[in-house]
Amino acid sequence: MRMSVLAFLKDRFFLLVLHLVCMGMMSVFLRLTGYSGANVAILLIFWGMIVCVWLVVTYLGRRKYFEETGHILEQVDKRYLLGELLPSSAKLEDRLYRDMIRRSNKSVIERIRQVETAEREYREYIENWVHEVKAPITGISLLCENGSRLSESRETLRAVSLENQKIENYVDMALYYARSENVYKDFIIRRTNLQETVEDVLERNRLLLIQSGVRAEVNCPDPVYTDGKWIAFIVNQMILNSVKYCGKQPTFRIRTKRERDGVCLTVEDNGVGIRSEELCRIFEKGFTGSNGRDHERATGMGLYLCRKLCDKLGVGLRAESEYGRGTRMTLLFPISVYIDREQED
Amino acid sequence: MAVKILIIEDEAVIRRELKILLENAMYEAAALTEFHHILQQITEQSPDLILLDINLPGCSGFDVCTQIRGEMGVPVIFLTSRTDSMDELNGILKGGDDYITKPYQAPILLARIGAVLKRTMGGRLKEQTQFVHKDVRLDIAGCVLTCRNKQTELTKAEMKILYRLFRQPGEYVSRTNLIEYLWENKIFIDDNTLSVHMTRIREKLKAIGVHELIVTKRGLGYRI
Repeated sequence: MRMSVLAFLKDRFFLLVLHLVCMGMMSVFLRLTGYSGANVAILLIFWGMIVCVWLVVTYLGRRKYFEETGHILEQVDKRYLLGELLPSSAKLEDRLYRDMIRRSNKSVIERIRQVETAEREYREYIENWVHEVKAPITGISLLCENGSRLSESRETLRAVSLENQKIENYVDMALYYARSENVYKDFIIRRTNLQETVEDVLERNRLLLIQSGVRAEVNCPDPVYTDGKWIAFIVNQMILNSVKYCGKQPTFRIRTKRERDGVCLTVEDNGVGIRSEELCRIFEKGFTGSNGRDHERATGMGLYLCRKLCDKLGVGLRAESEYGRGTRMTLLFPISVYIDREQED
Repeated sequence: MAVKILIIEDEAVIRRELKILLENAMYEAAALTEFHHILQQITEQSPDLILLDINLPGCSGFDVCTQIRGEMGVPVIFLTSRTDSMDELNGILKGGDDYITKPYQAPILLARIGAVLKRTMGGRLKEQTQFVHKDVRLDIAGCVLTCRNKQTELTKAEMKILYRLFRQPGEYVSRTNLIEYLWENKIFIDDNTLSVHMTRIREKLKAIGVHELIVTKRGLGYRI
């Protein structure tokens, strides 16, 4: 909304009418008391000029004030702080508005604080809860391991172990989701051996993968600089997806490749694949697609989280698929110039 | 002399199961059940390795580790359910030798313990690298199989399969167990590939003049 001359005059319509009426009444009065028409005309011209000058000055003043305010509003990133930044004005109305905006802003800020605090407390609670629940998961895992040495209950315990592993994966998702907004707080970038990271993920999920008859080839000799823990989580999600939507004789190929602008880690499977029209949506929150609906329960969270974490880590994420043939997920770790130079030395 | 591992963990179930796990893995395991004067108890036990939980009642594992480092050089592995990078960094800075997050899986835990022990105890830790059964000698270090004067080289996967069988002669090892064992050793194969490997192993055995070393029994698995 801008301040146009017409709108400005429209706002002062009644004032103008009042002036005209007064002018008319005065002319009548002066004519009746014997003034000459010329004198009355001069008076009216002066009156009209004064009104015009007053209108022009007021218009320019107001326009300047609001343009300045608009400019400030453009400049700041927290627009709800406008009340504190309004240009000073001698006008009573401006001061009153300013005061009210300030009060309104204050309540907005308080509300934001409240929401932020609630959100932080909730996140902290989730993180704590995850850490607490990991103790019993560990307990179950060890009980299964020790118990399976006795042959009679081995099959049951293997099944319990497998379910326990699923719980662990879901719990991890909750933890990483809670943390995903604050990745920078939990970050150690260091030289990461992707071979080890990927092998750990496969080994951790071995019960599920063996049960599904998976064969995997890992060939990741290129080191990258990143946080191994987050990458492990992302690779874990990819592998779980691959096994969830696997076909007959599932084979996973996980490789790194050195490219000009970085190192690529690809996770390739020969599963059911993703329909091309759905491919662009798989990273959306809650998107399950036709695969998700046909197969096991899908939450639509895994890949969404991957995308989110990759964005935070500065790692590229790409998916390609041929429906019915398989899917290839690629993580691109950009090489910074600095590190590259260091390696050349 | 068995390697002695001391468990400092306040969760009773985990403590008990860890102890069983370590004993099954042929370590001597001891656990603290009371967390006052930890340092004194450690000195009394004089372990070769300490598994240390970070959240202990009344004190932090980090502080305990600092105290240990002030007194002795015994390796310390932190066990924790916290996965913060800061905690991990802290663990390393306080002089921990490794940092394992819960929920850990038994094979991974044992592998990491083994790695730390190998690093810290060096030559004192003697691992068996040669196994002999019915004239057939399996040499882990050289990755070869010898019978009388003939010898054949093995791939990593074949070596691991044979090692698993040689470790428990006379006992059947099921296909599932074999595959699981291979996955734990970073060989990610499926059932068919195992069959292929078994066939190759049999051919190699035949080539060095060994027949019917490996017995197959349907539903039970393999044994030597």
